[in-house]
Amino acid sequence: MTTRRKFVRGIAASALAIASAQWTAAAPAANPVRIGFSIAKTGIFAAAAPSQLNAYELWREQVNARGGLEIGKDRRQVEFVMYDDQSNPSQAAKIYEKLVSQDKVDLLLAPWGTPTHIAVAPVLERYRFPMVGNTAASVKLRELKPGNIWFTTAAIPDRIGKELAAMLVANDVKSVALLTNVLPFGKEIKTFLEPALKKARIEIRVNEEYPPDIKDMTALLSKVKQAKPDGVIALSYPGDSPIYVRQAKELGIGAKFQFVLIGPAIDFFPKLLGSAADDIVTVGEWSPARNARAKAFHDAYVARFKERPDYLDSALAYLSCEILEQAVKSAGLDRNKLREAISKGSFETINGPVRFKGVENVVTQTGFLQLQAGVPQLVWPAALATAKFRPKTSW
Amino acid sequence: MRSHRDLCVLLAVMALAALLPAAAGEYWVGIGISLAMWIALTQSWSVLSALSGYVSLGHVVFYGLGAYVVVASWNALPLAAALPLAALAAAAFAFLAGWPVLRVRGPYFVILSLGVAELVKFVVIAVEAGQGNASRLILDTPDLNTIYYLMLGLAALATLIAWGARITRLGHGLRAIREDEEAAETLGVPVARYKLTAFVVSAAVPGAVGGVMALRATYFEPLQVFDPMVSFSMIAMSIIGGSDDLRGPVVGAAALTLLSELLWANAPELYMMVLGVLLVAFVLFVPEGICGRLLAARPATR
Amino acid sequence: MTETLASGQLLFAALATGASYALVALGLNLVYATMRLLNVAHGDIVMLGGYAAYWCVSLAGIPPLASLAGIALVGALLGMGAYRGLFRRMLARSRAAARLESNSLLLFFGLSIIVQNAAALAFTATPRGYQTLTEVLHFGDVALTGNRLAALLVAAALLAAIVAFLKLHVFGLAMRGLIDHREAAAVVGVDVDRVQLACFALGFGSAAVAGALLSMTEQVSPFMGFPFTVAAFVVVILGGLGSIGGGIAGAFVLGALETYGVALTSASYRSILLYGMFVLVLVTRPHGLFGRRSIVR
Repeated sequence: MTTRRKFVRGIAASALAIASAQWTAAAPAANPVRIGFSIAKTGIFAAAAPSQLNAYELWREQVNARGGLEIGKDRRQVEFVMYDDQSNPSQAAKIYEKLVSQDKVDLLLAPWGTPTHIAVAPVLERYRFPMVGNTAASVKLRELKPGNIWFTTAAIPDRIGKELAAMLVANDVKSVALLTNVLPFGKEIKTFLEPALKKARIEIRVNEEYPPDIKDMTALLSKVKQAKPDGVIALSYPGDSPIYVRQAKELGIGAKFQFVLIGPAIDFFPKLLGSAADDIVTVGEWSPARNARAKAFHDAYVARFKERPDYLDSALAYLSCEILEQAVKSAGLDRNKLREAISKGSFETINGPVRFKGVENVVTQTGFLQLQAGVPQLVWPAALATAKFRPKTSW
Repeated sequence: MRSHRDLCVLLAVMALAALLPAAAGEYWVGIGISLAMWIALTQSWSVLSALSGYVSLGHVVFYGLGAYVVVASWNALPLAAALPLAALAAAAFAFLAGWPVLRVRGPYFVILSLGVAELVKFVVIAVEAGQGNASRLILDTPDLNTIYYLMLGLAALATLIAWGARITRLGHGLRAIREDEEAAETLGVPVARYKLTAFVVSAAVPGAVGGVMALRATYFEPLQVFDPMVSFSMIAMSIIGGSDDLRGPVVGAAALTLLSELLWANAPELYMMVLGVLLVAFVLFVPEGICGRLLAARPATR
Repeated sequence: MTETLASGQLLFAALATGASYALVALGLNLVYATMRLLNVAHGDIVMLGGYAAYWCVSLAGIPPLASLAGIALVGALLGMGAYRGLFRRMLARSRAAARLESNSLLLFFGLSIIVQNAAALAFTATPRGYQTLTEVLHFGDVALTGNRLAALLVAAALLAAIVAFLKLHVFGLAMRGLIDHREAAAVVGVDVDRVQLACFALGFGSAAVAGALLSMTEQVSPFMGFPFTVAAFVVVILGGLGSIGGGIAGAFVLGALETYGVALTSASYRSILLYGMFVLVLVTRPHGLFGRRSIVR
């Protein structure tokens, strides 16, 4: 009996010890700028969130190495106040309430994922606290009230639908098989892609949807193989993208244009699939060849994390930090001034210039990447391309 | 009687809790909403599972259905109609599904309930996909305080229902079923009817709770809303609180919510692991739950 | 249409998927059927096995098929440790079965949280993958990717070996006795503690091996386990609690649905078919496909 009580007391004591140790941890620098955010460290988004968190960490280290964040004439070291939202958007909303009302942070960075951004938006509205969003892409974002949240991505589903159809036409693709994971991003793109394809008179020979927990696509892909389309468009997520590539290789699907929505821009994809992943097209609007800043970011990321940045999420996260940095430099920490600066300003980022109208980034163009020899290359739009599109001829 | 006293104490505490928005800021109201939600869910779950022994691992299905009803009817119905409809829809589903599902016993029932929840989730996904939706966004939802009062009301209602279930013949019948279903049937307990009643009763409030949480989240995505972790948490709170007691769910929900709040704010890197360790330690050393331990400490006089 | 249905390609896919379900579920069957412990951490052991195979490949260059035995051993040791350290005490106190179920759920839930987060802390949450045996072999007009074929063959061999062991060895009989009637088994001289320990070892070990085989074709990440846990439970209950063969049959039924069901209807019905069939079978046959009605608690 007594040993049991001792054990329970011991556990409780260690839990409190950990808690208080975190609480009383010594502040690293005098008067740091505290930037708060929540990130999915556990739960279903946890596998995707590191791309974003790593970019945040890299930015913070670089800014601090330069002497700190420039606020008017001062330079202050950056300190993160970060919590785990457990991939739960309601928890994220609570965390941002805490960050603003209790932790009283100076600035905010965005969480991961569209539903999380949407959950956090009302909190930002209530406290009139501006935050630059990044890893969110949905037409629904335009329904959010502008003024305290902005979205940097150009990968919005209606634009993707239009641009993808245009790219297919440009590469002489006359027929496609359209496979859609019914999760929001894929489904939204399909809503805009279908009419765009019809308008471009591209025949949709196979049009199937599938649930996100699919384990085997053999039956589905046999159908696709029989239809012999010029292109296959797999609006898939990182969980099922590898299944598509593996089984398309197994069945030998010979379509020259192969598009996989989310996956190829992430580091693990070519490592898992090797040559099968080559010449696959995916969504992405950034490449290290964009400008000098982009190359510097890419190289610093590789050196720090020993893997390539995610060409979509990591780039977006980093450039949202750049925007914040530049806005703070001119407007300081006052929220009203900051809001003005972000809404009206023009920013130089690793993806070129960025400017907002309402909540949307109106400068960056929707683009596509293609894996060539394991490295993503920007192949669309033609004006920004770092390489030419190559039809897929082998697995 | 002890359970009458327990009920009065619990309702009094909840009445006091109604003062929270006036006393504290929005952050605390947010915590209050979470706590009230878990109390409502766990109390409802216990009406079925703690009393009858039919452990439901899929209770989130009622929560999800309620959320779906509110979100889908957002532009068509006023909230005053949508929330009762959510509860009704959940109860109706329980009635229809209960007929076949409650014939299954023991571990089969546990996993079957999980299977039903997953099935409904994918059906909702398919229905939404058929209409071209993968997620829904609702705008102009009620403010935080309104949501808090709604949730607090549901917590009180669930407690009342749980009390009612326990003291009536239904509760005694369910307990008899838990001990030995065949014997209960031989003794004349209307086993099938009682099980179905408990099932339906345990579904209604979670439906309404799901509806209210949809207002809080404003964003509905079936894969996220029909989350098995919600079901697991109900069970965890019931066990931590002590399952055969009216106060159990309240104590369990409060303990786990408070613990989570203390941990995530102060140990951001490690808090999930600490939570896991504490859960393990709890089950090993306090398996009868907090209320069970308190009961055992007292002499067995009534 | 009928031409495609009869194709060897679909058959291979059904077999490969079924074998992977069967191997993942086997370990759970051993723990759940014998001791009524709701091991919701089962999928996380699969995850650990996957990581073990990944690290063997990337750090030491050992191909997954070669590291299988070692991974099985480590898994078995983990299982024995979990039994000795945590569950033996719980099982010894024979409480009301329902409470044991809920309590074991909570205990394994806590363990699952610990294992997932420890893995995330140690390995970071970024998904990992490696390539192995990616050449596509052709037999007639059936195409088989090397890694998938290897996984199928190894899984089938393991399943056959374990089933044979349980049927022929007296240990299998003891286990059967434990499943059917605990107290009676103890009375007739079955060393309940030894059998339970062995179940944990075999259960965790086979889960780890399943994970290692899966890592050949899928990426691994710390929170990938839960869907495997759900699938394993569905397979075990579908097959009928207490029947190892039933569990294997249930797994192949699911694999067949995943391929033929989709081929007959459409990919969008895939999950509805799987869970729908599960629910349908259980409400018409409340003890699963091959379950025994005579299980006493």
